[in-house]
Amino acid sequence: MLDIIFYIFAALTILSAILVPVSRNPVNGAMFMIVSFVSTACLYVLLNAYFLAVLQILVYAGAIIVLFLFIIMLLNVEQVKTLRPSFFSQIAGLLALCILSLGVGSLFLSGSANPSPELAVSAGSGIARNFGYMLFTKYMLPFQVSGFMLLVSMIGVILLSKKINVEVPSRKEQGDA
Amino acid sequence: MSPDYGVFKTFAEANQWLAIWPELAYGTLALLLLMLEVLFPRYKNTLIPRVALTGQAILLVVLAATIRRVASPDAFGELLQFSVTGNIMRVFFAACGLAVCYIGGVYLKRERLPRVEFFHMVMVISAGMMLLVQSTHFIMLFVALETVTISLYLLVSYCRTSVASLEAGFKYLIQGGLSSAILLFGMVLIYGSAGNPLLPGTAGDPLAYSDIRVFFELNAHNYVAVIGALMVVSGVCFKIAAVPFHVWVGDIYQGAPTPVTAFLAVASKASGFIVLLGLVLGPFLPLAYIFKPLLAALAVITILFGNIAGVGQQNVKRIMGMSGIAHAGYLLIGVVAAFSVEMAVSAILFYLFVYMLASFGVFSVMAHVSREDDSIMLLEDYGDLLKDNPFLGSVLVVGLGSLAGIPPLAGFMGKLILFIAAFQAQLYVLLGVAIVGVVISISYYFGWIKAAVFRNPEVEPVHSTLYIPSRTMRVFMGVLTLLTISVGLYQGILSFVF
Repeated sequence: MLDIIFYIFAALTILSAILVPVSRNPVNGAMFMIVSFVSTACLYVLLNAYFLAVLQILVYAGAIIVLFLFIIMLLNVEQVKTLRPSFFSQIAGLLALCILSLGVGSLFLSGSANPSPELAVSAGSGIARNFGYMLFTKYMLPFQVSGFMLLVSMIGVILLSKKINVEVPSRKEQGDA
Repeated sequence: MSPDYGVFKTFAEANQWLAIWPELAYGTLALLLLMLEVLFPRYKNTLIPRVALTGQAILLVVLAATIRRVASPDAFGELLQFSVTGNIMRVFFAACGLAVCYIGGVYLKRERLPRVEFFHMVMVISAGMMLLVQSTHFIMLFVALETVTISLYLLVSYCRTSVASLEAGFKYLIQGGLSSAILLFGMVLIYGSAGNPLLPGTAGDPLAYSDIRVFFELNAHNYVAVIGALMVVSGVCFKIAAVPFHVWVGDIYQGAPTPVTAFLAVASKASGFIVLLGLVLGPFLPLAYIFKPLLAALAVITILFGNIAGVGQQNVKRIMGMSGIAHAGYLLIGVVAAFSVEMAVSAILFYLFVYMLASFGVFSVMAHVSREDDSIMLLEDYGDLLKDNPFLGSVLVVGLGSLAGIPPLAGFMGKLILFIAAFQAQLYVLLGVAIVGVVISISYYFGWIKAAVFRNPEVEPVHSTLYIPSRTMRVFMGVLTLLTISVGLYQGILSFVF
């Protein structure tokens, strides 16, 4: 039973992920991305990683997609014109695909892939408390550093987008458009 | 349920924060600047830049004075490893940050761009790079790397009134994002393989360098993990602009504001090299059978590409970019030599310091020779520089001479020591390629020197603006030049590297 559910959601994840770059309308693309994220969250639930599933829904399907949609609407993207890749890049893409599938195929058929048996579920891996404990002891420093990363990005966005001061000479304003 | 206070004790004792006091000091100073700007907006252009520069200068002196004091190695568990090399690189990044802030202060004042935020970001980057080169854990490595890279995206597009700067920022964002993705995917592959309990030598923490090394010693031919290691190294090679990963260099060096280009060329590259050394000599050492020939091949194409592509360039920033690629190639020889010769690591450090001195000399001159848009400065704009302003001209000539490796200057000694290390490691082919590369490089360095010393009478004089350096700027450039000359004559000045 669980297997069937797994395959359903795995197929859903991959299909919707393929549809993201394929769809012409960017809003549709974003919607397919939500489907992909949500079904990934379902896969996490199947793996007993409930906390990760909740985060996936909250952060990715929630915040990030809303951001995407905002940007799409702000930029007011029209239906994208069909861009046909040149003959050369089509051939190159096909060649790359062949090499890649050959490599992956040989990796799995020759048995050189890593063994992947059924693992025992580690107790409490899905509980927020354990994540918090690690975050505030062992990974405290990376946690703090990422705070700086967010601060810098925030400052950068303000810098790049706030109104230009009047004292900037007018010759430079051509680049503002 | 009564509160469990013991947990706070655990939190407090988990890490010894004093071991990273320089990084903490940089972070605090960076935050202090923002606070000062909010509290005293009147002093935005007077007092606050001085606070930034003085603070960094003090930190640089203190760091240089305490270079031999290494914190206990387990102060941060497996996340960071403290060593003398780490301390040397701290001094290096402190010096880079100070120089970039100083040149940047002058540049931004002229362009009328906000300075405090620039200083803030440069300081965060300096601290991030210090953490980056000392990290021995993939999570720490990635977080530090992303902090540095994201701040650099912003610095590259800092001059937002210029189209070239914005374009460069955007290109850097896309390509940097791609390289981070490759790096992260490699880490995930290693994590997955090293954490697999069915393989021998399963790591307790499959992200820590020491555990990964144990894993690779027993699984040196595990395809998935090896591909992961290759992807991690590819991501790092993007940072150092080794040749298949160099595509970003031209446009981004050209578009970025001059001080930021200097930062990219010197500090970003140096941090990449130390990370690369840490990786190939640390967790990936059992994979030397693949990395040694691979890095040697990279070194050959990097040297040849950088030097040959530099020959035809007219744009000075692109010349610095191509020369930077070539220098990355020479340093890659050092990395290959470091597999067998211990001295190569010191040679790389020495070379980085020498490269920093010469590059900042050249870039500080570039910040003073400018047109409306400084991304399109050509060689002919430097015509007669030596006559118009002998000081700027001679700083430029000394800097370029050092980059080219002309004997009495520091650059020659840097190359010599690096090549001796390569010779000891018996890398004769690489050595030959490097010497060919050096000979080619003379062409474009001397083309630039020629442009600065003479003026082509057939070309109309271009109306480039020559900004006269202030007195303190003269002192700064003079110190760089003097150091470049004197390190060439007596290397003991940089004796703390060895």
